[in-house]
Amino acid sequence: MVSLNDYEPIVGPEVIGQLQRLAEVVARRRFVHINSTRTGGGVAEILNRAVPLLNQLDIKTQWEVIQGDPFFFEITKAMHNALQGHKVHFTEAMFNHYREVNLENARLATWEADFVLLHDPQPAYMIEELRPRAKHWVWRCHIDVSRPNLQVWRFLREAVSQFDASVFSMSQFAQNLPHPQYLIRPSIDPLSEKNRELTPQEIKAVLNRLGIERDKPIVLQVSRFDSFKDPVGVIQAFRMVRRHAPCKLILAGGEATDDPEGPRIFAEVQEAARGEPDIQILLLPADAHHEVNALQRAADVIVQKSTREGFGLTVTEAMWKGKPVIGGAVGGIVLQLQDYNTGFRVYSPEGCAFRIRYLLHRPGLAKRMGQLARESVRNHFLITRNIRDYLTLMILLDKQGSRLIEL
Amino acid sequence: MKKRMDKPAKDPFWFRECFLMPMPIGTKVVNLRELLHALREVSDSVLYYHLVQSRLAVSPPTVEFPNDFALWAAVALQDSALAEKLSSFDPLDYENLSQVRQAMVDILEEYLWDLPFVPWARSGFEFHFCEASTVVIRSVISAHNLQEFCQALNKVGLDSMYYHFFEARWRLEKPIDDFSYWIETNFGLPELVAAIRDIDIYFYNLREIRNTLLGLIHQYLGDICGQPE
Repeated sequence: MVSLNDYEPIVGPEVIGQLQRLAEVVARRRFVHINSTRTGGGVAEILNRAVPLLNQLDIKTQWEVIQGDPFFFEITKAMHNALQGHKVHFTEAMFNHYREVNLENARLATWEADFVLLHDPQPAYMIEELRPRAKHWVWRCHIDVSRPNLQVWRFLREAVSQFDASVFSMSQFAQNLPHPQYLIRPSIDPLSEKNRELTPQEIKAVLNRLGIERDKPIVLQVSRFDSFKDPVGVIQAFRMVRRHAPCKLILAGGEATDDPEGPRIFAEVQEAARGEPDIQILLLPADAHHEVNALQRAADVIVQKSTREGFGLTVTEAMWKGKPVIGGAVGGIVLQLQDYNTGFRVYSPEGCAFRIRYLLHRPGLAKRMGQLARESVRNHFLITRNIRDYLTLMILLDKQGSRLIEL
Repeated sequence: MKKRMDKPAKDPFWFRECFLMPMPIGTKVVNLRELLHALREVSDSVLYYHLVQSRLAVSPPTVEFPNDFALWAAVALQDSALAEKLSSFDPLDYENLSQVRQAMVDILEEYLWDLPFVPWARSGFEFHFCEASTVVIRSVISAHNLQEFCQALNKVGLDSMYYHFFEARWRLEKPIDDFSYWIETNFGLPELVAAIRDIDIYFYNLREIRNTLLGLIHQYLGDICGQPE
């Protein structure tokens, strides 16, 4: 099992010391996380590591996962899309079923806690039944709710308003709510299979297995094949670059199976790449963390040309590998990539092409940018900072109304 | 000189580490008139966050735009003249946040008065207001004399520079910082103290402030802790 001390060579002893000092204030408190899946997705990835680390810090942390039937998860998927601004119509039957499943889960709950952190909308209504079970209830919203569908938000707000606080990833996601709202940035785990250091042999083995030759500089985008990640725009940019600089493009990711447009987008990507031997499209399974790690480490330039993005942890992962990253100027990518410093933000395929050329022609600058990007992630987006924020949140909730913690 | 460097301080200097827990208030504005209106209404802590505490943000202000309002005027409103006015505005020229607020309101009001139109931000570029809770932790690093102090400056994080220069002004309710206060009360050294208090801290980023401070110590006391970065 990974221990807190394993992070010390990465973040420094001061950071570990801070965590221990903060944890002393809320030691032995009971902290319950509730979400809807134990595997897959960023929330589960972080909880898998954060829960044992919090326990090592003497916070009695447990992780509960709610159960539901396929109809419930269809509803929560639609709810997720609606909160991200999609046009979805909800019927009364859908709201009722969502509420019933929440109440059933609440009735099965046996835990008692000092703090509850409830992740995303799926379990939000459990508070109606379980409010007395914990002193402090916090709703942690991981999704982009900057322009939510009003019908769904009104429904959810009824439950969210009963919490003592909410946590969002970006200030633009915050809402008009009757309690304090906090900002906690997402994070990556530097010791996970997706982010740990790899040997040159490990990287080479993955490239051999995937049939990738390192005969030209590699431009990479890792993402699902959905329209918001603009894979066709990346191919357009690549074709513009190819007129000026030799390179190859790898588009790696899973098919967006829960997106009705997924197959159409994938077909468009294949069509756009037709006849171009230097474009490789890799359909990877969702758990291909080792492969993604190796691809990112083998790449010369990494692109995330999203046209819409919550936070963009693929950008964080690429930055952590010391790579220069070009990202669409949307969502959390804007926060992560500072032009000429930690990366480049772009607004069009032309802009993307220009920045790829810029970086391929200036390897020294690209290397420096990658180093700055890695330091930025070290300071702001690693799991240790996430744990620090959880501990701070607990202390602030305990000292209601206080804006200053002095230790 | 060596003797002065080793002279023990009456009170050791304990460095503090500092970080913020940002708290968005769920309010946004989309044009300059809305910003003016909001600036009259928001709490002092919101004003303080966007003018001063943003030094500790993920993307701290750059030299061109030393506060969030100036950056928003430049990037979202694309109004360079307003951005210049807000960039050269220095909240540290004022004694308290009420005065700072009034000065900001005056700038925006005068600017809007002469404009034939209200500058708007594009969709997605609204200004989102925040405030923050602050966590201050006593560092394990301390200094018992000037030499240790100087060496420690190279070890502590930039968050310590922020705390001892910026937070100190509001905490001490005087336009001074913790470092010069400690040097003055323990060692005298009026010239060095005056030079530290003259550092244009609102203009520099935290790394530059540290380098400037080390440069001044080098200038006034000699090479007691190595060259600045």
